[in-house]
Amino acid sequence: MVYQKKRLSEGLSVTQKMFVRSRNGGATKIIREHYLRSDIPCLSKACTECVKIVTPNANKELPNFVLSANPMKLEGVGKHYVVLDANIILQAIDLLEGPACFSDVIVPQIVLDEVRNRSYPVYTRMRTLCRDSDDVKRFIIFHNEFFEPTYVERKEGESINDRNDRAVRKTCQWYSEHLQNYGIKVVLVTNDRANRELASKEGVIAKSLYEYVDALPNGDEIKDNLPNLEAPAANGNSQEAKSEFKFPSYYSTSRIMGGLRSGVLYQGSIQISEYNFLEGSISLSNFSKPVIIVGQQNLNRAFNGDQVVVELLPDSEWRAPSTVALDSEHFDVNDNADDVEDTETPVFSDKERRLLAQSAIQAQKASRVQPTARVVGIVRRSWRQYVGQITPNSFDMKNGGTQNVFVILMDRCLPKIRMRTRRANELVDKRIVVAIDSWPENYKYPLGHFVRDLGKIESVQAETEALLLEHDVEYRPFSKKVLECLPSEGNDWKAPENLSDPESLAKDNLLSKRRDLRDKLICSIDPPGCVDIDDALHAKKLPNGNWEVGVHIADVTHFVKAGTALDAEGASRGTSVYLVDKRIDMLPMLLGTNLCSLKPYVDRFAFSVLWELNDNADIVNVDFAKSVIKSREAFSYEQAQLRIDDSNQSDELTQGMRALLHLSIKLKQKRLDAGALNLASPEVKVHMDSETSDPGEVEIKELLATNSLVEEFMLLANISVARKIYEAFPQTAMLRRHAAPPATNFETLNEMLQLRKHMSISLESSKALADSLDRCKDPEDPYFNTLVRIMSTRCMMAAQYFYAGAYSYSDFRHYGLAVDIYTHFTSPIRRYCDVVAHRQLAAAIGYEPLDLGHRDKNKMDMVCRNINKRHRNAQFAGRASIEYYVGQVMRNNESEETGYVIRVFHNGIVVLVPKFGVEGLIRLENLTDDVQSAKFFEDQFRLSFTSSIAKKVQDIYIFDKVNVQVKSVLDPVTSKRKAQLLLK
Amino acid sequence: MSRLEIYSPEGLRLDGRRWNELRRFESSINTHPDAADGSSYLEQGNNKIITLVTGPQEPRLRSQASFSHASVSVNLNITKFSRMERSKASHRNERRVLEMQTALVRTFEKNVMLHLYPRTSIDIQVHVLQQDGGLMSSLINGITLALIDAGIAMYDYISSVSVGLYDTTPLLDMNSLEENAMSSVTLAVVGKSEKLSLLLVEDKIPLDRFESVLAIGIAGAHRVRELMDKELRRHGQKRLANASK
Repeated sequence: MVYQKKRLSEGLSVTQKMFVRSRNGGATKIIREHYLRSDIPCLSKACTECVKIVTPNANKELPNFVLSANPMKLEGVGKHYVVLDANIILQAIDLLEGPACFSDVIVPQIVLDEVRNRSYPVYTRMRTLCRDSDDVKRFIIFHNEFFEPTYVERKEGESINDRNDRAVRKTCQWYSEHLQNYGIKVVLVTNDRANRELASKEGVIAKSLYEYVDALPNGDEIKDNLPNLEAPAANGNSQEAKSEFKFPSYYSTSRIMGGLRSGVLYQGSIQISEYNFLEGSISLSNFSKPVIIVGQQNLNRAFNGDQVVVELLPDSEWRAPSTVALDSEHFDVNDNADDVEDTETPVFSDKERRLLAQSAIQAQKASRVQPTARVVGIVRRSWRQYVGQITPNSFDMKNGGTQNVFVILMDRCLPKIRMRTRRANELVDKRIVVAIDSWPENYKYPLGHFVRDLGKIESVQAETEALLLEHDVEYRPFSKKVLECLPSEGNDWKAPENLSDPESLAKDNLLSKRRDLRDKLICSIDPPGCVDIDDALHAKKLPNGNWEVGVHIADVTHFVKAGTALDAEGASRGTSVYLVDKRIDMLPMLLGTNLCSLKPYVDRFAFSVLWELNDNADIVNVDFAKSVIKSREAFSYEQAQLRIDDSNQSDELTQGMRALLHLSIKLKQKRLDAGALNLASPEVKVHMDSETSDPGEVEIKELLATNSLVEEFMLLANISVARKIYEAFPQTAMLRRHAAPPATNFETLNEMLQLRKHMSISLESSKALADSLDRCKDPEDPYFNTLVRIMSTRCMMAAQYFYAGAYSYSDFRHYGLAVDIYTHFTSPIRRYCDVVAHRQLAAAIGYEPLDLGHRDKNKMDMVCRNINKRHRNAQFAGRASIEYYVGQVMRNNESEETGYVIRVFHNGIVVLVPKFGVEGLIRLENLTDDVQSAKFFEDQFRLSFTSSIAKKVQDIYIFDKVNVQVKSVLDPVTSKRKAQLLLK
Repeated sequence: MSRLEIYSPEGLRLDGRRWNELRRFESSINTHPDAADGSSYLEQGNNKIITLVTGPQEPRLRSQASFSHASVSVNLNITKFSRMERSKASHRNERRVLEMQTALVRTFEKNVMLHLYPRTSIDIQVHVLQQDGGLMSSLINGITLALIDAGIAMYDYISSVSVGLYDTTPLLDMNSLEENAMSSVTLAVVGKSEKLSLLLVEDKIPLDRFESVLAIGIAGAHRVRELMDKELRRHGQKRLANASK
C-alpha cells in the first residue's frame, strides 16, 4: 500500500508506516506515523554543508561530527567510509570492536533496528561502540529511515528484507553523492551476493567481508578473526566431518509454536551436568524434578544455558540420572557408545504425547527413574566468547597454511570448537579467546573463529584474564567518560570543616541536611590490609542506661550520582571481584580506596544508621542520617580483639567496643534462636609471599569474635534499612531474599545420611534445619559436621536481589538469616545493590529526591537481574582464582591428606580435601587395575573394587574418610593445572 | 517483545520527530453545520476526533437549570474500534471515561463565560474515531474549536498538549508507544498566557525535572493555539468571502 506523503513545513513531511502483527492467530493492522526530515547530518568532519542544519537536543548540545575528514585509504578505492549490513554486525561484532580494522563506519538505522530485533546484546555492544568511539573507531548511526532523501517505500511484491537492503543501498548512494566533492568514497560491506550485485548495478562499491579485509594493508593478520561461515561443501575433506554424521534437524518454528501451545513440547533452559558433558537436565514447571536429556543426538547441539524446546522420549528410554563421569576433553569420537540412540524415534500422536507427560509426572513421584527428552529446537543461544586452547594433536605442525584445528574450552560442560587458522603453530600453547559462529547439523562440533590470544598457558596474567573472561567480568580500566565524573579535586578532596560554611554550601546545597557526628568515637574493624573501608561503628552509653549504637557506611552516592556514566558503569559491573592476587573494582580507585573509604583520622561523608538499643539488644529507636564522621582508629579483626581483651585499656573507645561486642553476642543469640543457619563452605585462603608474590601456603579461613561483632551490626543495619525503604517504596525497594530450599533438593543427601549414619536433616523450618544440622555429629570425627554443612549448602537455593514489587511480602523472607526482610546496604563501594539502597534510603528520609530509574519497576528488574548475575559470576571467578592458586601451591609440595568421599559414581568417586578446599574425581582406572571386576551399588552409594595397591577387595562408601595423595598435574589435553587425587 | 529505542542518542524519537516537535495537527470547524450548533474535526497525529456542541439551549430537565449561569455537560464516546485492537465492551461507563468527562467539564466551566447564558445548558459530544496517545489533550483542543464554532463566549483559547519525560529528556506530544513507555503529564494553557487551566499528572514525575517538562509543554500548547487560530481565521475568511458574494 502506498501512502501519500504530506508536507508539514519546510523540511518535514509525514507518511504512514503500516504493518500487520499477528497474535494468537488473529491479525492486527497497525498504522504508525512516520516523519521524514531533512535535517539529519552526515556527521563527517569533511562536510561543510551539514554543519548548517544541525539542531540542538533538549540539553542544548549539538551532535558531534565523528567521521574523520581524512579516512583510511583502501586499495583500489581510496579514502573511504564503510557501511555495514546487519549480518556483518551480528557475525563479526568482535572484529568491529577490535582496534585492527574498521574505522569510520556508518551504520544505517534500518540495520541497527534489525540487529536489535535479532540480538539485543549485540545491539548494546554496537551502541556502546558508537558512544565511546569518538577518536579511534569513529562509528556513527545514520538515521536513514527518517531522512527524506534516503527513505524508500516498499514496492508491490517486494519482501521486507529486499526493501531494507534497498534502503541501505540508497543510503550508500546518498553518502557517495554527498561526499563526492571531498573525495571520500563509500564501501558497502555485505556477505549477501545478490545485494552486492544490485549494488554494483546502482553504482555503489560493495565488497564481502573477506574481500574488504583482504584489501586492507594488514589484512592477513585479521583473516584469522573472520567468522567461520564456510559452506558445508567447501571442506568435505576435513578430518572429522564424516559424511554419515548428522544431527537431527530442528523443528520448524510453526511446529514448535504449535507444540508449545498444545502442551506436547516444553521450553526451558538447559543445564549440562558438571560431571558428564553428554547429559543435560532441564527444569520444567510441570515436573517436580528436572527432565534429563542424554546423549549427543538428543542434546542436539544445545549449549549449556541455551533456551531450548524439548520433546519427551517414550517411557522405554526413561532412566535414572547417569552415574558415569565423563569429560568432553577426554572424550574421544571413536570409542563413544552413544550413537546406539535410535534416530528413528517412533511417531506419536499429540494425544499419546500428553498421556506420556502424565505418566512422566507419575514416574517422577514414584521412583528414581526420570523421564528423558530430546531437544527439537533452540530458542535462544547462550553463546558468548569462550576461552580455550588449541589441541596440539588436532593439526599438522609442519603445515604453515590455513588449517582446521580443535579448540578445547575451559568450561568442561561445552564441546570442542572447530576453527580455521593459519597461525596454529604460534597459538598452540596459548590461551585464546574464540567466538562461535554456527553449528550446522552435519558437523559434529560447532564452528568458531579466533578472537585474540591472552598469552602463554599457565602464566599468571593469561590465566587471570582467562578466568575473568570466562566469568564475564569486566576488567578493562575505566573509560575516560567514567573518570570525568569523579570530583575534580582528586585525592585532595576534603570534607568541609564547617557544615554551615556558605562557600561549601554553595557547592553542595544538601550539606545543611548532613548531621555532624565528628564528636562520636567511631572506629572501623576490617580484615588486615583492607583499603576500601566501607563501614565503621560506635557505641555510647545513654543517660537512661540504653546504648546508642551507630553504623556508619561510606557515602558513595554522594559521589556516584544517578544517571552519570560512573553510575552506569557501576551498575553494569554490579560488584567488585576479589581474586587471590587482584581486585577488580566496581568503582574507580579514587573513590573506593580514598574518598569514600572511611579512613581513620580524617573527615569523611557517611550514611549513618543510629539505634537506641537496650541492654538486651532490642531496638528502642532507629534513625537514619547522612553525616560527617571522623574515624578514630582502623583496626584489623585481630587488633580489635586484642584491644578488647586487654584489661589495661579502659578509655572510652575501648569501652564502646566492649559494649558492641557484648551487644553483638546478644544479637547473634537472638538470630540463632530464630533459626538462622550456620552453613559452611570449604573456603580456604591463599597466603602470598610478600616479596615474590608467589603463593605460599593455604589456610582455612578462621573467625574471631570481632568478625561476628561487625557482621551482626551489619545485619542489623541491613534489616533496619530494608524495613525503611520498603515502607517508603513498597513497589521498587531494593531487597534481598533467600527462598526456602525445596525438599527434593535434600532427598539424596538425606538418603545418604540415613543409610550411612542413621541421621537425617529436617526441613520443616530453618530452625528445624539448623537444629538437625547441629545433631549431625560424628563423635569420632569433628569434621563430619562441617562436611554435612558443606553438602547442605549445596542443596540450598541461592539468595537473590529483587525489587519489592516482584514478590509478595511473605516471600521476602531470608531463609538463611531467618528474618522477614533484608537488603544489602553496608558495602556500597563494592556492591551496586547497596548503592541503590542508599539512594532509596536518602529519598525515604527526605534527603534528596529519588532518581526515576529506581522508582520504575522495569528498570529495577533489569538492575536486579544484572546484579544477581554479576554477583554469581564474581563468586565463581573468586573460587576459580583460589583453585588456580591452590594448584600452584600444590605444584611445589606433593602431600598426603585426609579426604572425604562426597559422591560415588559408576566409574569413580569424588573426594573433597578440606585442607586445600579442593575436590576431585578419582577415576576407577586409577583405583583398580581390574576395571571389569568393580561393582557399583547405587542404592547403597557403594563402589567395590580390587585395590591396585593392597590387592584386595575394597568397598568405598559415601562419607568415607580416605587418605589421598594430592598433587598437581598439568592435563596434557586441556593444559589446565588441577589437583590430582590418588587413593592411598 | 522487542525493546524499542524510544529516544535515540542521536535525538530522534520512534516516529522520527525530535524532542520538541508536535505531531501533525490538522483541524477544521463547522464540519457538521446541520447536526449541531458548533462542530469540529481534529487530527492530531493519529488521533481523530469529532466534536459537536449544541447550545446554549433550554435544558432538558428544568431541574438542571441554574438561574445564574449555564451548565456544561460533556459526553465522551470512545468508539470500540478506536484502538489498535477492537475492544469488546463499550467504553461508555468506564471509570476512566467518566473521570475524563468530569475533568473536561471542570476545565471548560472556568473558561466559558457561563454567566452570559443563565438558565441554559451547553452540551458537548465528543466522538473519538481513532486514538494514538495524548487523547486528553486532543479532546480539549477539539472542544475549544467546536465551542468557538458555536459562537459561545470564551475568555481565550484553551490549547492542550501532553509531555512525557524519558530519563531526563522531556518529549512533547506523545504517541501511544511513547505514552506506554514513560510517565507523562497533560496540560492545558489559557491563550498566550502561561496560566494552566488543566494539569493532569497520572504517574510519578521527579519534581526536579518538572519545571523543564512544564516549560516545553507550555511552549507546545502555544504552538497548538497558533495552529488553531490559523485554521479559524482561514475558515472565517472563507465564510466572509461567501457572505459577501
